[in-house]
Amino acid sequence: MHCFGALAHRKYTVYDGLPKSGHYPNRASKETQEMNIVVTIKQVEDPITPPSHMVLDPSGKQVRSASGAPLVINGYDLNALEEALHLKEKHGGKVTAIGLGDVSGRKVFKRAIAMGADSAVLLADPQWEALDSFGIASVLAAGIRKLGNADLVLCGRQSSDSDGGQVLYWLAHMLDLPVVSPVIKIEESDASALVVHRLMDEEYQRLKVQLPALMGISSETNEPRLPTPKGTIAATRAMIPCWNASSLGLETSDSKVTLEKLEIQIRTSSAEFIRRDSGAESGKALADKMHELGLL
Amino acid sequence: MSGILVIGEVVGGSVTSQSLEAVAAARKLASDRGETLSGALFGADLAAAVAQFDASFSALLVLDSPQLGSYLAEPYVAAAELAIKRLNPSVVLLPHGSRTRDWVPQLAARLGAGLVLDCVGVGIKADGVAVTKPMHGGAVLGELFVRGSPAIVTLRGGAFEPALAGGGGNVEHLDMPPMPGAGRIQHLETVATETGTGPRLKDAKVIVSGGRGTGGSENWRFIEEAAAAIGAAVGCSRAIVDMGWLKWNHQVGLSGTIVAPDLYLAVGISGAVQHLAGISNAKTVVAINNDPDAEIFRRADYGVVGDFLEVLPAFTERAKELRK
Repeated sequence: MHCFGALAHRKYTVYDGLPKSGHYPNRASKETQEMNIVVTIKQVEDPITPPSHMVLDPSGKQVRSASGAPLVINGYDLNALEEALHLKEKHGGKVTAIGLGDVSGRKVFKRAIAMGADSAVLLADPQWEALDSFGIASVLAAGIRKLGNADLVLCGRQSSDSDGGQVLYWLAHMLDLPVVSPVIKIEESDASALVVHRLMDEEYQRLKVQLPALMGISSETNEPRLPTPKGTIAATRAMIPCWNASSLGLETSDSKVTLEKLEIQIRTSSAEFIRRDSGAESGKALADKMHELGLL
Repeated sequence: MSGILVIGEVVGGSVTSQSLEAVAAARKLASDRGETLSGALFGADLAAAVAQFDASFSALLVLDSPQLGSYLAEPYVAAAELAIKRLNPSVVLLPHGSRTRDWVPQLAARLGAGLVLDCVGVGIKADGVAVTKPMHGGAVLGELFVRGSPAIVTLRGGAFEPALAGGGGNVEHLDMPPMPGAGRIQHLETVATETGTGPRLKDAKVIVSGGRGTGGSENWRFIEEAAAAIGAAVGCSRAIVDMGWLKWNHQVGLSGTIVAPDLYLAVGISGAVQHLAGISNAKTVVAINNDPDAEIFRRADYGVVGDFLEVLPAFTERAKELRK
């Protein structure tokens, strides 16, 4: 989980990733509409992995891909990043990706830069391996405070692994930001407010939200872009600073929720197949079967 | 701190059946722990809903205010915080839905309370509650322990048998407390999405749903014709929404609508776990797919392997004859 490998001996390790003075415009004195946007990134097992290709690690508390497929950026976080890049194109400003992970996370974070993020920060410490939503939000909040002056924090509406759906709300509370989720469209944006659409059941709400704010972004907003050649070069060169508990001044706190056990749900039942000489015959037989069961 | 509090949800003036499921789970928990059971309802114009909510509560706290009309989180958080301060419960249970998934985490953060969303099981354990929750889009079932008091849990619909509804007793009305953080989010309007002429997906008894395997938007009419022939709602997988063929309100799955029809006909749907999580309460699942190894066949009760362009129109024609 720690990130002080070979890189620790290179001279740039003194760089702690803090923006140089003036790097981030000061919100209070800002004349332009520039936005400083922070996007939270989670690394997850590829969600297309079917249960039959999942295994549990020795602790029994972590799902891994049986084939060792690499981790990917959580899908909704890619939507959040795309939305951030779109706002940056419109208003100017800066997009910073931040998230927890282990050293292999650097690769995942480089993808965010390859897509167009200006910088990325990895939050890694061995003591953060089994955090609950509250703990993860505490780390993210400390990291975002250290970055400073965020106008907008964009998160994915939830992660595809734990399906927890809480971190963004704890984070908003800790940063004292208004929060809206799941956002399916950012209709208008200026330096002081956003008009967004929030998905409800059979309807959506149009809401006006004062900035700074935190949004949970859903997949309906956009189609995330692929890395650009220019971005890929930038990503190769990018230094991704790694902040740990002591660099964030964080002490461990007791978790409120603990994971006891995971069980992979392998489906063993299989369908009764209806087979006739042709597709059309099978379709007709299927209708007959449904009728017999009283389902039509 | 002692006692179980169940907070019901009111939609269109009525208590949702999912709220009555939460009552059933709460009653069992109260009985197992030997604790009292209380209820709470928040909303606007609650007279009918109060009468529908369960009668066996030791107290039913009601906050009926126009401020709880158009949904925003802040008044709900403030109302729930007031009710929790009044009753000091050890466990708070709520139905999981599009409102509670938004305001309950904000409540937990304000109280610093442990919370697990969207659970399918809840049981007693010393100093907290043990819950089970589908994770990884339903591919994995997690057991979690919520420490401290109050422990807050939202429950997925369909996981519990609803309790019988009855007239409210021991009702106590609360006044709207001050709302911390209010005013930063302004509700402009609520826009209903067009659902077409067919039944609503969420309540539909029969659903015909299409996926990527339907091949192209020009083929989509076969899905619609089949749905029309058997009085079904039209659903789809996320791929169809991502490709822009249908709007998001047709999407079945964990990030779309969770459905519970008697018959779910999945056409050209491979069966990603997130989609299967959305149909876990469907009674009979039928799949048409040209890939015999598609995951959907592990969930389906009946299957046809073949080209849906041959199978489905013949199904539709025969179904029309049979329904005459």
